[in-house]
Amino acid sequence: MRKTLVAGIAAGALIALGGALPATAADGDAQLSVLHAVPGVTVDVYVNGALTLDDFTPGTLAGPLALPAGTYSVAITASDAADASAPIIGPIDLPLAANGNYTAVAHLDPAGTPTATLYTNDTSTIAAGQGRLTVRHDAAAPAVDVLAGGAPVITNLANPAEAVLTLPAGTVSASVAATGTTDPVIGPADVTVAEGVNTIVYAWGSLEDGNLALAVQTIDGLHSNPGGVPAGNAGLAATNRPDASAPLWIGAAAIALLAAIGGVALRQRAVAKSGR
Amino acid sequence: MRPRRTPAEATAAPAGVPAPPRATTGAIIASVVALSCALLSGCAAGAPTPTPVVAAPPPTTSTPAPTPTALPQTPSGTPVPLTNADISAQESVATVEPVRVEVASLGIDVTVEAEGLDDAGALALPADPAVASWYRYGPSPWSPAGAAVIAAHVDSLEYGLGSFARLRDAPVGTPVTVTGADGQVATFAVQSVTVADKSGIDWAQVFDRTGPVRLTLITCGGEFDYDTGHYLSNVIVTAVPTG
Repeated sequence: MRKTLVAGIAAGALIALGGALPATAADGDAQLSVLHAVPGVTVDVYVNGALTLDDFTPGTLAGPLALPAGTYSVAITASDAADASAPIIGPIDLPLAANGNYTAVAHLDPAGTPTATLYTNDTSTIAAGQGRLTVRHDAAAPAVDVLAGGAPVITNLANPAEAVLTLPAGTVSASVAATGTTDPVIGPADVTVAEGVNTIVYAWGSLEDGNLALAVQTIDGLHSNPGGVPAGNAGLAATNRPDASAPLWIGAAAIALLAAIGGVALRQRAVAKSGR
Repeated sequence: MRPRRTPAEATAAPAGVPAPPRATTGAIIASVVALSCALLSGCAAGAPTPTPVVAAPPPTTSTPAPTPTALPQTPSGTPVPLTNADISAQESVATVEPVRVEVASLGIDVTVEAEGLDDAGALALPADPAVASWYRYGPSPWSPAGAAVIAAHVDSLEYGLGSFARLRDAPVGTPVTVTGADGQVATFAVQSVTVADKSGIDWAQVFDRTGPVRLTLITCGGEFDYDTGHYLSNVIVTAVPTG
């Protein structure tokens, strides 16, 4: 097994999806991303027996891949393995539903043994001005609290659980501490929670080995939109105004005159209308 | 007009690497370069994107995922995009907010404020027709993709007729100038003017955050309902970048 000391640097090599998988996306396909969160080991990933990710390095996120709904068998081997017969992790079955969005994470369990977890990513629509923050514990470490600005916002999160928050869009100064404490074992680090985006933060590595780290995945396009643009309340530009045959400015002047005469009442009406 | 390009395309296309007749070593090298550049996020000049290349396509639209099609095909299947997921590699691109819109030929010169939603879930607009509203959560005129939406009241009982009333008559090609909070200027040209019944407008399309860069100016128009005090239509002007 080839080891790499430089985590988080993507190989940049061409990797190809195995011939067993289709080359083009179709409606109803599931989206699958794969995160390598086992420190210090470069691996190969086999899907249904076909080499899909070659020389996959820690801290690298692959995908998303568009895959037809179904169950896929994934095996993770040493990077010099000839085939999927002697995996480090798996083989495990990944059941992917139509239109589902998933991240499969190769990571350490609390005791430091390599394992894998399939997470379902929340792609539901997010209210205007808000962002979604998902935090996943994939580290060889006890349960943790997640602190934002020093105050706990997620408590007692254990490997491999996740917590999902909806926050006003912005930047969060986040840190991770053993549950019930505020002394950071990771961070503080600035996490951008963008509007209409699911920002997924993975705590990975090993507390004992001193290589805890944060990885980030984002899924955008989850925003909502304004439901209209109410941009007028006087009828001065209306095509059906009573004086529509007259030039526009005459109508405007007439209404302005009325407004001046009727001042108070019209202003009150304007206030009443402005909220619509 | 700035076409929508992914970082990988932006890097691969101008490189002058001749397209091989089929997947060859050349294609592999090109894809390695493209992948590396996508990963090293600094070399895709001109195509900064606030979200990494791993972002999933919007599930609510039929827009195809940009990444898989951006890379050359190989005999064995579709390349898989890779990104460095470390938090230190995340980039947050600052948004340039528009502060002024001018259409000199129509006598339009309005200030612009960043706005969200009103209580009814519609775009919030300043009461004064001389102050326009930019939808702050959507693209800005300087974003790498999508429609920057700027709207203003066509009129007001308090302030009278606004200059956006003249948008209805904007000829195709009319120049539009937008000034950003940092002083930079973007120029657009009117591509289309549509008067659409409010009940039939696809607002997800109007506020589209993907696709070509464009500026969308909106006001009210058409017939007025004197009972409710509302116009029945919106005037929607689409303008495309000219520089």
